[in-house]
Amino acid sequence: MNEQLVTCTALTKRYSSKTALTGVNLELGRGRIVGLLGPNGSGKTTLIKILCGLLQPTEGAVLVDGSPVGPYTKSIISYLPDRMYFADWMKATDLFDLFADFYADFDRTKALNMCASLGVTPSDRIKSMSKGTKEKVQLVMVMARKAQLYLLDEPIAGVDPAARDFILNTILTNYNEEGTVLLSTHLISDIETVLDEVVFLKDGSVTLHDGVDSIREREGKSVDALFREIFRAHNMEGGAF
Amino acid sequence: MFGRLVKYDFRSMFKQFGFIWPAALLLALVNHFTLSGLDSTSTVGETTAGMAMLVYVAILMAMFVITMIFVIQRFFKGLLGDEGYLMHTLPVKPWQLISSKLLSAVAATLLSIVVAILSILLIAPFQWVHELGDLFRGLGYLFTHWNIQATHGVFFLLELLLLICVGMAQGYLQLYLAMAIGHLFNRNRVAMSVAAYIAINAVMGTLLGVLGSINFRPLRTALDVMFSVEGIAGAHVAVWVAIVWTGLLSALYFFCTEYILRRRLNLE
Repeated sequence: MNEQLVTCTALTKRYSSKTALTGVNLELGRGRIVGLLGPNGSGKTTLIKILCGLLQPTEGAVLVDGSPVGPYTKSIISYLPDRMYFADWMKATDLFDLFADFYADFDRTKALNMCASLGVTPSDRIKSMSKGTKEKVQLVMVMARKAQLYLLDEPIAGVDPAARDFILNTILTNYNEEGTVLLSTHLISDIETVLDEVVFLKDGSVTLHDGVDSIREREGKSVDALFREIFRAHNMEGGAF
Repeated sequence: MFGRLVKYDFRSMFKQFGFIWPAALLLALVNHFTLSGLDSTSTVGETTAGMAMLVYVAILMAMFVITMIFVIQRFFKGLLGDEGYLMHTLPVKPWQLISSKLLSAVAATLLSIVVAILSILLIAPFQWVHELGDLFRGLGYLFTHWNIQATHGVFFLLELLLLICVGMAQGYLQLYLAMAIGHLFNRNRVAMSVAAYIAINAVMGTLLGVLGSINFRPLRTALDVMFSVEGIAGAHVAVWVAIVWTGLLSALYFFCTEYILRRRLNLE
């Protein structure tokens, strides 16, 4: 078992017209809850997609548990994308079957229990579910795995504050404590209390990677306040919010 | 893991065709009973027969349209669209994803063809068992007439079936490659896929032209030897040359698609 769970070295991703990540060096340990913070367009989703193999970096390298991205790293990563990724004709139970088939760490009983506590009927067709229920099913699938690395892309964006608490609570009560949760968001105040460390992304570069407690001690302010300070300046420079 | 992928792709196939295949067979059965109405003097019988035939033909056409949509959608949406987020994060290799889609695409097409043939047999008046017997007797006569042994006939059928499957795979893999190239663009992916399909055709056409004009002696000699084989053996050689050539093209398209999905995946 490698000491560092995630190692990104000089990671760069360029699209034809813009650069999404510029020379990102990042190391993440185990058993941490990490906030990947930055305004829209700062490269959060790109970084997560590279980690789970949906995008290929233009330059640089990524290692997850010491291995380059491939079937092994995919087997230990549980990824919650920023969109619905399942075929409409399936039922939630079909999806659980699929996950049980492909991921040795998927706990079907846990998934069914989570459905019960979230008020989801797993025998319903996905097609007939509301958007919120579909999101819950996806969250259940991701959190019912005992993964080494959870990559959660904006899990609390676009839902009301009550639902936010609910989702965060689901994540916190179900994740594998030996694993690491990397959670991207721009809604910091909602999650600050649960984070161990934060990574600030600005224009595709890591501008800060530190423990939440040490930030509070050093800066004498909350992460949220620091974020607003840094990215307000960014906004005045003409960045896109 | 590959077997599990195939399982889910086949489930999705049966879901897609779960209505149309039984419907085609059912409509064929209806036509079997109404068909005689076409010759009858009663207007009602004639109208019923006409309507039933019209619906049957429409269903059959719809079946093949659905087959093409299935082949394209399962790859485009299933691997390059939102569902791709699920498929590409499963602990499997890209070649397994492509092979599984290809297998279900070829299976869906073959099954649609089987359903179409069965439905035609169903429509025909019930003496078809008898008439099929006649057909086989006719074939037997032809083989004897041409001095072809029955084993050759069986081999021919198997070779042709293989050629059909490989040909289908080649056609679908060309579609897959075109879609994979199209997805590399950040905009107008559908239009780019169509353009890529046309471009692949143009490139392969040019390549064949160039290859044909090269006077490479060993190749010429090999071709001369192949085409000098006469009679039944010559026919076998011709079919096998077609199978190998189509197989080579399929392999080329497969490897290019696999490379794009492995090294250049670009999900929006």
